[in-house]
Amino acid sequence: MTKVLGIDLGTAITKYASIVNGEPKALENREGSILTPSIVALTKGGERVVGVLAQRQAVTNPKNTVSSIKRFIGRRFSDPEVQKELKLLSYETKERQDGGVEIKMGDKWYTAIEISSMILQKIKADAEEKLGEKIASVVITCPANFDDSQRKATKAAGEIAGLNVLRVINEPTAAALAYGFGKKEAKKVLVYDFGGGTFDVTVLDVSPDTVEVLATGGEAHLGGNDFDQRIIDWILSEFKKDQGIDLSKDPLALQRLKEAAEKAKTELSSALETNINLPFITSDTDGPKHLDYKLTRAQFESMNKDLVEKSIERVDKSLKEIKMTKDGVDEVILVGGTTLIPLVRNKVKEFFNKEPNKSINPEEVVAVGAAIEAEILTAKEEGRTPEGDIKSVLLLDVLPLSLGIETYGGVSTVMIAKNTTVPTSQSQVFSTAADNQTSVEINVLQGERPMAHDNRSLGKFILDGIPPAARGIPQVEVKFDIDANGILTVVALDKATNKSQSIKVEGSIGLSKEEIEKMKKEAEAHATEDEKKKQLIETKNLAENLVYNSEKTLKDMGDKISPELKKEVEEKILDLKKAGESDNMEEIKSKTEALSQTLQKIGSQMYSQPKEEEKKNDTPEAETEESKE
Amino acid sequence: MNKKELEECEKKKQEFFAGWQREKADFINYKKKEGERLTEITEAMRENLLLRILPVLDSFSLAEKTIPEKEKEGKNVKGLLLIKKQLKEFLKSEGIEEIPCGKEFNPCLHEAVGEVVGGGEEGTIAEEVEKGYQFKETVIRPAKVKINKSKS
Repeated sequence: MTKVLGIDLGTAITKYASIVNGEPKALENREGSILTPSIVALTKGGERVVGVLAQRQAVTNPKNTVSSIKRFIGRRFSDPEVQKELKLLSYETKERQDGGVEIKMGDKWYTAIEISSMILQKIKADAEEKLGEKIASVVITCPANFDDSQRKATKAAGEIAGLNVLRVINEPTAAALAYGFGKKEAKKVLVYDFGGGTFDVTVLDVSPDTVEVLATGGEAHLGGNDFDQRIIDWILSEFKKDQGIDLSKDPLALQRLKEAAEKAKTELSSALETNINLPFITSDTDGPKHLDYKLTRAQFESMNKDLVEKSIERVDKSLKEIKMTKDGVDEVILVGGTTLIPLVRNKVKEFFNKEPNKSINPEEVVAVGAAIEAEILTAKEEGRTPEGDIKSVLLLDVLPLSLGIETYGGVSTVMIAKNTTVPTSQSQVFSTAADNQTSVEINVLQGERPMAHDNRSLGKFILDGIPPAARGIPQVEVKFDIDANGILTVVALDKATNKSQSIKVEGSIGLSKEEIEKMKKEAEAHATEDEKKKQLIETKNLAENLVYNSEKTLKDMGDKISPELKKEVEEKILDLKKAGESDNMEEIKSKTEALSQTLQKIGSQMYSQPKEEEKKNDTPEAETEESKE
Repeated sequence: MNKKELEECEKKKQEFFAGWQREKADFINYKKKEGERLTEITEAMRENLLLRILPVLDSFSLAEKTIPEKEKEGKNVKGLLLIKKQLKEFLKSEGIEEIPCGKEFNPCLHEAVGEVVGGGEEGTIAEEVEKGYQFKETVIRPAKVKINKSKS
């Protein structure tokens, strides 16, 4: 069998993905990383290396280490933009006879296509090793603003690497494909791509048959590296203030700072503050110097706010260019590692006033989308259904809303949680709430709210004939079973008598989309107050339980405890009962606490009594006898 | 029910039965795969944790370098250096091994971070700046080295 790949051939980093077990997945290279630096080198020993290995020797071999080749592929040497980029390079270039760019590596001259093909060759080899299968066909991505010549050159690079290039598609289009947009209805999708070194924004019109690029723009030099640099500059200035030493002159210290800054940036995406701790960063005549600073997320955000604002301004500009308002955008997709920064996410959300799509790793989403396209195209060629699309044949529904029953105090207890794939069944054992209760009412509920009366009741039934017993003793098993057609059967069974009752409810899946959304929204809106309500009920239930147990204790052991204590307990019970009638949670809690402490006194009084008696008999003889036994 | 209907029914039954068997097998296979994946994830998490401990060892090494030789025999300093040894032993017991650093530069094991003029034969390693480590035969962090460069 052969496999297909999607390749995100980037200026700095290349990523690839395939379909594994029916799911698109970004894969690691031979060095164990999803990210492969787009760098090719000819080592001093004459060996060609690609990726992180080329990166590791770049410092000592700059003339034979080629990076950023994507800036030249399919372009003319004389192009003013190319000329500008050429000035930044460490390797030698010249104009080819056909007007393209030629690069010198070792003694030989290579075209940009050849260099790119070396990167793709490594990807092919790594993928074949990783997947254990031959790679047949691929889809490669390129920026939306690539012209025909650049696309043709990209395709040629793939073919030289021995790959069958099915298509070269736009990076933003791949991202939209990864999310499956436009399958059913046309949508306007904005792709916000904030990478390590560049920022791109693209507006797409995605429909079932076509994807049209409405606008594309960006900043060639704005990316995550700028965020790192801001942290480095901050540390440098702080250290200079504290120690009077300029670390920027010390290349090794700077290298450590760079790593620490990147780490701090990553950590601040999940933590609210981080420590930058670099002992022995440098030394002077006084001895070694240490660096230890705390950086909060707020500080980090204020030092980088303008960078994010610049990107948002660019988005605004692109929308204005096509006379589109931000409300006209149906979906926003986040692409690139920099979009993992909370500040970036929040600003995008704030600007569009809607949640951007970020569930697929923004660093992998383009490669994933390319892999999906590759699989779809190959499947079409071979006349089969695409792998991973089997779901369309055997459609399994998921439960849109949770199902449960009403339990003591009007609480909704979930039996089958929402998003569970059906058919499925679940059972749980419940009991009675009062002494000598001979019947229970099963109220079947649907919804996410914690209180029963806020949810929708699908039906009720009564199971009676339960033999009288103290509360909590009878065992009633409630079983929820939902079949593939969404028919729900609820059975309640008294384990003592084997008597059972049941109800059948149809259409528990088939709610309209609006109904489901409405119920979900309500649950979200009431989440806090509902939680409070539920807590109150739980507190009340706890209190009631304690009252019940205390009264029972008094009844059972009343003659063994002192009358003073008995009176105290009775008073506390009365207090708690009174408190339980109100909705004052703090009051109920404190009275519960008071009663339970008084109850402990009963325990200690009872234990101390027999002990005293025992002590009287506690002679050494008795002990020896016991130990003999 | 006539024969044709029965055949149709039989065919359907076969189809469903096969589908059900396949689904069951898929689930068992999925569980197996998931088990493997879990092992992979725990391994990766362990590697990641160990990788994050390494800078502590680096700092110890840097500290050790700045302590004058004669002070190293002092009881307090000796104790501190023993902590470094303890940390090193722990990492070793977890499967972390130092990457040996000879003269020959190999990008699979080393990362060039700078150059030294006139120190030795061009292209060879002049100095190891930061130790590199392997975990189960894969390089989890290459050694940072400076490379010799001839004067020209």
